[in-house]
Amino acid sequence: MSAELPAAVSQPADLVRAGDGYDAPPPARRTRLRIWKVIREQPMATFGAVVLLLVILVAIFAPALAPYGPREKVGDVYQPPDSSHWLGLDDGGVDMVTLLMYGARVSLIVGFAAAAVAMLVGGAVGVLSGYFGGKTDTLLMRITDYFLVIPDVPLMIVVAAIWGKSLKNIILIIGLIYWTSTARLIRSQVKSIRERVYVKRARALGAGNSRLIFKHVMPQVAPLLIANTVLMMAIAIFAETALAFLGLGDPQKISWGLLIENAFARQAISLDAWWAIVPPGVCVAVLILACTMLGTALEDSLNPRLRVGHLSVRRFRLRPLVGRMDAE
Amino acid sequence: MTGSDYIIKRTAFAVVTVFVAITLNFIIFRAAPGDAVTGERCRNCTKEFKANLRKELGLDKSKWEQYVIYIKQLAHGDLGYSFEDKQPVAPQLWGPLKNTLPMLALGTAFSIVFGILTGVVAAWRRGTFWDRSSVLVGLGFYSLPTQWLGLMLIFFVAPMLSLPSSGISDPFLEFTDPGWWPALVDRLKHMVLPSATIGLVIYGEYTLIVRSAMLETLGEDYILTARAKGLATWTIVRKHALRNSMLPITTLIFLSLGYIVGGAILIESVFNYPGIGLLTYDAVFAKDYPIMQGAFLVLTVSVIFANYVADLLYFRLDPRITE
Amino acid sequence: MTAPVLEARDLHVWFDLPDDRELHAVQGVSFGLAPGERFGLVGESGCGKTTTILGLMGLLPPTASVAGQVVLEGENIMARGESSVAPHRWKDIAMIFQGAMNAFNPVKTIGDQIAEPMEVHGISEGDAARQRVGELLEMVGISRDRADRYPHEFSGGMRQRAAIAMALACEPKVLLADEPTTALDVMVQAQILQLLVSLTHDLGLAMVLVTHDLPLVAQVCNRAAVMYAGEIVEQGETETLYHDPGHPYTRLLFAATPDLYDESNVTSIPGGPPRLDREIAGCPFAPRCDRTFDPCPTVHPELRDLGAGHTAACHLNDPAMRAAAS
Repeated sequence: MSAELPAAVSQPADLVRAGDGYDAPPPARRTRLRIWKVIREQPMATFGAVVLLLVILVAIFAPALAPYGPREKVGDVYQPPDSSHWLGLDDGGVDMVTLLMYGARVSLIVGFAAAAVAMLVGGAVGVLSGYFGGKTDTLLMRITDYFLVIPDVPLMIVVAAIWGKSLKNIILIIGLIYWTSTARLIRSQVKSIRERVYVKRARALGAGNSRLIFKHVMPQVAPLLIANTVLMMAIAIFAETALAFLGLGDPQKISWGLLIENAFARQAISLDAWWAIVPPGVCVAVLILACTMLGTALEDSLNPRLRVGHLSVRRFRLRPLVGRMDAE
Repeated sequence: MTGSDYIIKRTAFAVVTVFVAITLNFIIFRAAPGDAVTGERCRNCTKEFKANLRKELGLDKSKWEQYVIYIKQLAHGDLGYSFEDKQPVAPQLWGPLKNTLPMLALGTAFSIVFGILTGVVAAWRRGTFWDRSSVLVGLGFYSLPTQWLGLMLIFFVAPMLSLPSSGISDPFLEFTDPGWWPALVDRLKHMVLPSATIGLVIYGEYTLIVRSAMLETLGEDYILTARAKGLATWTIVRKHALRNSMLPITTLIFLSLGYIVGGAILIESVFNYPGIGLLTYDAVFAKDYPIMQGAFLVLTVSVIFANYVADLLYFRLDPRITE
Repeated sequence: MTAPVLEARDLHVWFDLPDDRELHAVQGVSFGLAPGERFGLVGESGCGKTTTILGLMGLLPPTASVAGQVVLEGENIMARGESSVAPHRWKDIAMIFQGAMNAFNPVKTIGDQIAEPMEVHGISEGDAARQRVGELLEMVGISRDRADRYPHEFSGGMRQRAAIAMALACEPKVLLADEPTTALDVMVQAQILQLLVSLTHDLGLAMVLVTHDLPLVAQVCNRAAVMYAGEIVEQGETETLYHDPGHPYTRLLFAATPDLYDESNVTSIPGGPPRLDREIAGCPFAPRCDRTFDPCPTVHPELRDLGAGHTAACHLNDPAMRAAAS
């Protein structure tokens, strides 16, 4: 039995509303189109999406694109840039451009995966909390509140210091610390969806909780979740560089964070080797910026919260009336 | 709820959160793979020595008993002993903390002031060049990895402005027995770059927060009323929007303290600034768990306390709570 | 009618939409308001009545464009847009908003907010202002020592009264009331209406009452205009509109109002109003009308004078049209 009722149900002259209190759930296709629309129309989102795509491509095709091997010593320690090595060499004589290309992989992997973990945990907590309300809600929100107050970076450092340096652990640690903002966001969204007419109708028709959650609530929540995940990626990417800087990253994998740490630890500053210090940070910053721009643009357009402002320095315009009125 | 109800609730919350932090602290360190006695700590130890050490550290008891002992020790201000130098942890924390706080305070103050300034202007002039550029600049600074920004400042700015890029004071200065003013100037000079680093990164975030909070407030009905009453735009921003936005802004600022504290760790390691961040950093490298634990606890409790202060501040600012 | 204190002459408001489209929210609205008169502006939600009165005060966002005149005591205050209308705000025309609950800033006292426009317009300040605030509060039936309270300490009805007091602070000539009694319970509604009526009598205040509640209009207003799809489709004395409507929409509106004692079914007007982002051919009400005939879908009806200040925009009133059709 389908829980979706036909849209055009005639109602008594409801003078308060021009239309109908019934709002149908938008089909999934439409929400995907909305995301695409935002990306196309808003310059910040476009920039973010394009940069993200480029970085992904570079990361995937690094072996083909990179001029040298990632561990191939091709010259002296901190050799300055020249025509064959546009960004010079690092402290091991390896080509910087190559390192940067391969480094993109770890940033993206950690970024995606940790954000995915945060999304799963935060999303689940948010949905359960918002949907069931009551005691579940109170309990889960209490836990979230505690997590929110406890500073994330120190916690992350402490856990990473003990539990290990592998990529897998890093991903889990980052994901399990940053789920709280997602949870809150999803919770408030779920709460409002729950009150929508079509959900109430479906429930009246006997749809069970899991059906309601998966068929009605999740599709509505999905776009916001996606936007939030992109923002979470930005945080995760930064968190990886922070951990790498403190020697808690995976030493086996080349990452931009590790490149920054190397530059610091191997005295690139005193040796004036700007090519070892500046580029990795720029790469990280640009990627974080891209994710933040894309995520913020998506979230702003999908989150119904941001209302029209009543104040502006710009004013309404006057139009001359053509023909109709005689002199004043 | 009445005013005193609110205070009691928030105090209870703060206390419980401290307990949660303490428990978390305990679980993380004691639940670690291996314990303090295995691994690199004690590679060449004899079996008896290990057994004795275990007994001494109380590791032979059940986890629950260890927890209780831990709480008792904490109540006495005993944070254990450093693995490195075998000295008590607690006294070692205060000096560095005293170094860190002014540095962070300076940077945060800077970012709050300028963040509010640009955020308000951006919201007031929404859609104009000011708004767009403020957002871009804010996003830009927000995206910079803290430690890397520190390195950039050391590399490019320090030589330009002849500012020191390491330590907290000039070691040679002390030998000349300077008056308090030159010593203060010296301290400040050493603080500038580290403070600037945290200031710039957080400024980016704050400008976005303030702008967003202001825009939200500017959508409220009473703003339209104010406009209908004939108030000028800037007057409305100043007298109504800003005042009301301070509530969510305060909350969000205090929420970001956790990040600032984390940033301190990165910045102090870059600038070799002897604060609690550097202490943590060194402890991580040396795997000196008790120091790490102690530092974590101090940092966490500071943030919890700061949030508690924020709650009380909110109480003063929002008349609705005293209903 | 004596010289009107406020007149809207062919007022249009457009809102920009994405993709270079426009929403024509108010389409050539004209009406006049005499001193001491209570004028009702009625229609479904979305018909443009709120936008109209916001437009009278120029309280429109930058995405709006305005054409037409707003004549206050003979002067077109819309002549130069924001700069010519702003000085008259609150001093000559004041407004009470829909949901006055939120019209107050929650972190400032009611007294401060009532005094604010007086200080801004240089009418009085300091102790004199506080005096006046007390007087205003008593005028609306609130004891003056409540001036130092915060909005959340007032009930809904009291907040609405306080909003009225605030609106009267600068002794305006015109009061625009947007759904002043929606969201209040029935007893309180009656009190507020009574207050508004006595204010128009005592102070000679002219009032535009925007509402979707027809019985209210019938009780309180001398004259009324019915809006549909951004246009005024009928205007006249309230009695006439009720007993002898000149437009099918008016008739159906009054018929759709449930009568507490009437056992017959509530008639409804099926369908919904048209979109305003595109040109409408013919009469905008035609798709929902029960008496359409030939010209309706193609020819736009203009307001015709039906005598004694009663106008309506419907081809049924035009003998020429009806002759041509049959």
